Amino acid sequence: MAAPCRHVGHHIQKNGRFLRININQLFACRSFGLTSALQQQATDLHKESKEAIVIPRKKSWNKEAVLEALASTVQRDPTAYPYQFQDDSYLSPRTSIEFKLFSLSQESGRAAAKYFVNSNPKLFTKDFAEPHIPCLMPESVALRLEEVSQEALEERISLRKVSAAVEMYDQLLQSGTAVSMETTHKLLDLICLYCDRDPVQEGTPQTEDREEEEEEDRRRKPMGRQAMDFLKCTWKENNNAERIFNLLPERDARCYSALIRGMVKHGAYAKAFNLYEDLLNNRLSADVHIFNALISAVPDVRKKNNERWDLIAELLNQMNEQKVRPNLLTFNSVLKALRQCSFLAKTFSPQILNEMKALGIAPSLATYEHILTVFFYKSASSGPSNMAILQDVLMELEGTSFTCQDPNDVLFFATAMKLCLDNKDLELGYKVHSLVEVGENWRLLGDSYQQALYYGRFFNLLCLMEHIDVVLKWYSRIVPSLLYPNPQGMKNLLQALDTDSRLDLLPTIWKDIKSLGHDNKVDLVEELLSLMARDEHSAEVQESFAACALDVKSVFGERPKKEWSTSSLSHISILLLRANKLQKAWDMLQLFKDKNRVPSGALLSSFLTACRCSASPQRAVELVQLSAAFSLPTTPELAKRTLAEFELNDKQRSIVSEFEAAPEKEE
Amino acid sequence: MYRFLSRTVCVTRNHSLCVYEGHVFSAKYDNVSRVLTGVGVNPLSTCSVRCCEKKDNAIPSNQDEATNVDTQAKITQLQEETEQVKATDRDSMQQHSNVKVEQFLSKSSQVNTDGAKSGKESLLDLLGAMKVQVTSKKRLKNLKPKQSLESASAAMESTSSMFQKATVQASAQSEALDPDLVAAASAAASTLPNRSEAESELLKQLRQRKLLTEAQKKGDVNNLGVLLADMKVGKRSGRQNAWPTNQIRFDDDGQGYVRDRGITSELANVQKRRNIFPAKRLNIFSQTTDEQGDESALAKPTLWDIEFANELSLLTNQKPRNGFEEMIQWTKEGKLWQYPINNEIGLEDEASVPFHEHVFLEKHLEDGFPRQGPVRHFMELVVTGLAKNPYLTVEQKKEHISWFRDYFHQKEEVLNEADVYLN
Repeated sequence: MAAPCRHVGHHIQKNGRFLRININQLFACRSFGLTSALQQQATDLHKESKEAIVIPRKKSWNKEAVLEALASTVQRDPTAYPYQFQDDSYLSPRTSIEFKLFSLSQESGRAAAKYFVNSNPKLFTKDFAEPHIPCLMPESVALRLEEVSQEALEERISLRKVSAAVEMYDQLLQSGTAVSMETTHKLLDLICLYCDRDPVQEGTPQTEDREEEEEEDRRRKPMGRQAMDFLKCTWKENNNAERIFNLLPERDARCYSALIRGMVKHGAYAKAFNLYEDLLNNRLSADVHIFNALISAVPDVRKKNNERWDLIAELLNQMNEQKVRPNLLTFNSVLKALRQCSFLAKTFSPQILNEMKALGIAPSLATYEHILTVFFYKSASSGPSNMAILQDVLMELEGTSFTCQDPNDVLFFATAMKLCLDNKDLELGYKVHSLVEVGENWRLLGDSYQQALYYGRFFNLLCLMEHIDVVLKWYSRIVPSLLYPNPQGMKNLLQALDTDSRLDLLPTIWKDIKSLGHDNKVDLVEELLSLMARDEHSAEVQESFAACALDVKSVFGERPKKEWSTSSLSHISILLLRANKLQKAWDMLQLFKDKNRVPSGALLSSFLTACRCSASPQRAVELVQLSAAFSLPTTPELAKRTLAEFELNDKQRSIVSEFEAAPEKEE
Repeated sequence: MYRFLSRTVCVTRNHSLCVYEGHVFSAKYDNVSRVLTGVGVNPLSTCSVRCCEKKDNAIPSNQDEATNVDTQAKITQLQEETEQVKATDRDSMQQHSNVKVEQFLSKSSQVNTDGAKSGKESLLDLLGAMKVQVTSKKRLKNLKPKQSLESASAAMESTSSMFQKATVQASAQSEALDPDLVAAASAAASTLPNRSEAESELLKQLRQRKLLTEAQKKGDVNNLGVLLADMKVGKRSGRQNAWPTNQIRFDDDGQGYVRDRGITSELANVQKRRNIFPAKRLNIFSQTTDEQGDESALAKPTLWDIEFANELSLLTNQKPRNGFEEMIQWTKEGKLWQYPINNEIGLEDEASVPFHEHVFLEKHLEDGFPRQGPVRHFMELVVTGLAKNPYLTVEQKKEHISWFRDYFHQKEEVLNEADVYLN
């Protein structure tokens, strides 16, 4: 009896508390509203008292501003050829090889003209332009100063004539003339940069094969042609740089910097570290470039992962001790070195990113690229949580426009798209692509090879994951204006068509395959044919399929080298039969004989059915004869059917019945 | 009479359980008070009632106090109290087992949950299921006192709703099950020849089972004091939430375990750390002043810098996509007239020179030239011509005049002889 009353009391108490809280909240809101209104009034009063017109400052536009505004109004036309080829109708590439060839020939034409102008300056003395346009005039590439002097040395350095500069320096030393420290720095920079070799001058004619090979390299690698040249030559013991360096009466950090950077660039990693020791012994402090170079060389001087990291950490600590401010490239080279430290990388790369942020260094795309590669290395462990990293990175980057700050920046988009493709994450793929479309980010897609990689991966991802209508929309947008799909990409497209049962589009795809130059890829064409022959479709579709099959046949006919396979021959025959092209199908059967292939029994029996439909007993008899010529086991079956289903004259009947009986005799 | 009182309390508790969230302790309270009534230790019973009350709501229950005046003196520490209660419980259990018989039928409902489903099956199965239920009940019991302590200090609303729901559900189930059990027993008995005997035997068996479970429960209550002593208020909520999610994760599809381990979880943590709060960093560099940075900015670009910039520009050197972009490229190369069109481009040196310097050139004839005569006349014509020439800069015009000055000075003698050079 007591309990219910107590519970009522408790209930009231509980609710009372609840009520009080609610009232408190209400009151708090109310008072807040009041104060904010008051504040607003106060600021209004404040404004009125000090009213002053602020005249905006005149904005000075740079010289490209008008053109940039105009260019931003022009949308990309997916149906047009790339702008660079619009001048010349002959230069309309349809395949990636043609694209490569045409753009390279354009480039080489420019280079040839430039070389001619520069090598014959006396023919190009007229200067019509007012104001003067320097880039249209021949550059002075020849040496003018002949006497032995510091100016002559400077001239040789500025023209990047390595051997001539070294020679001039030696002459100056012999004559006892002192060379200023600044000039010495420049000379050392020059020698180390080009590894004691004369650089290949822009536009200098080379032997033909070398040019080709180089162009090939240039397309393949993200690095420029000159970078390739650097990689070819290696640092030699006691080259001119070292010799001059050793002869110097006093060496400062700049001299060491030049040598260490040169050594790292040209593969003398251990030597670079020795020189760094030397620098420390001379109680000099290194600059940021030295550290950057040394950090990037770490993976080559240490074999074990933890040793590598220890060395990197040591270098970073020394940087701090010597009060050297790290820059973006420092951290990027740390991350790049970490990529070769497998398991340690995952621990330290986020810390490095945080360090960058703490120091106020904005990461570039290369930074993120390294981190992504680190986390997705050996994608066995790639799971949903790994994709979370990519997602977070993209979230962070969303809507930002980038400029190139690191040579590796251009690898980011292709890598990110690769991860999306590997993990089949369409949503992130779209996010990556939307990032590409922000501002000038498309410039960071890299050279044409990188771009082809990027768009190829994107397209494959779409084919795998997206509905066919969307795939086709993208297909018309990026093919062929941005992407010339490879055979694998076309196969993926065929599979996507198959998945969503839009096989009726196959003839148009075949046209694209032909124009992309993939009609000689046997497996691709066979896949197309088998898809067309697999199911029966409506009459219209069969008609277009038959036309397409004939086209395929003619393309194959043009190439005598290409081998017909049995399956493709029978696919074409079946397609023709389905479209009631009996004569064409008969021609195909003749081809079997020519190419030493044997048709299947099923094909012949369906041919016989087609014969009956068109009521041609003569063709049926010929078919039985053909079957007998191939000595197929189904011959008596065919003969029996022919006798039963066709109205034959006596002669025909005798021929056919002979085949009907023949195998029985053997039995 | 006391027994009756406490039973009414029980009943009301059971009902209120559904209504008032947070009254989770009631079952336990029930148990204790019921046992006590059986023994007949009145003061103790009311005292424990009061203590539980206090733990729960901190509302002094006036009615309880009214009925038990002498309990006031007995109020001691809660822990001691309960231990005492348990001690008496133990003894009373043995003595008053017959009292429990009728209690069992009403209480067994709380023990069993699965009984309804297996009603048609054999009774042995049922009993086996009962035992299983006992263990779960035990767990429930463990939690209940903790809950009551928690609610004493924290607000009612803040207690874990999940737990409460579970309790409510359990009690609701138990009430529904009671007749089923009896029905099952009688149904099983009806198959035997001597029906009433069989039924009573079955019920006896059930009672024995009940005794066993009660004993186990008491063992639990024994631990209560220790539990209460170790309790820390408000500690549970986090763990309660974490546990079911873990279970779900493990139940998932076998991948759950893998996902929780190794690199992936580490990465997830890393990611969280990186994004949510300022995470661990290398802590090698300190944020120093920018002196060094300024220095490097002032230094002249070295060959390396130029080469690096060149490399970067080559990498981003995309082909122009339309005519305007090509024009931008040409503008940058200096091949194209700059926009917006300005016809003084290339004449930046002259921009600071006012026009009168170009037009009024007579002042340059002040010295070095005769005041009158043919030379003067000639020079005036020259100056007029220069004033109209837009192609020469002021400097060039001055040079032109000074050339004549020098020339006439050189020829001064000749001119004087001819008497044309005056002054």
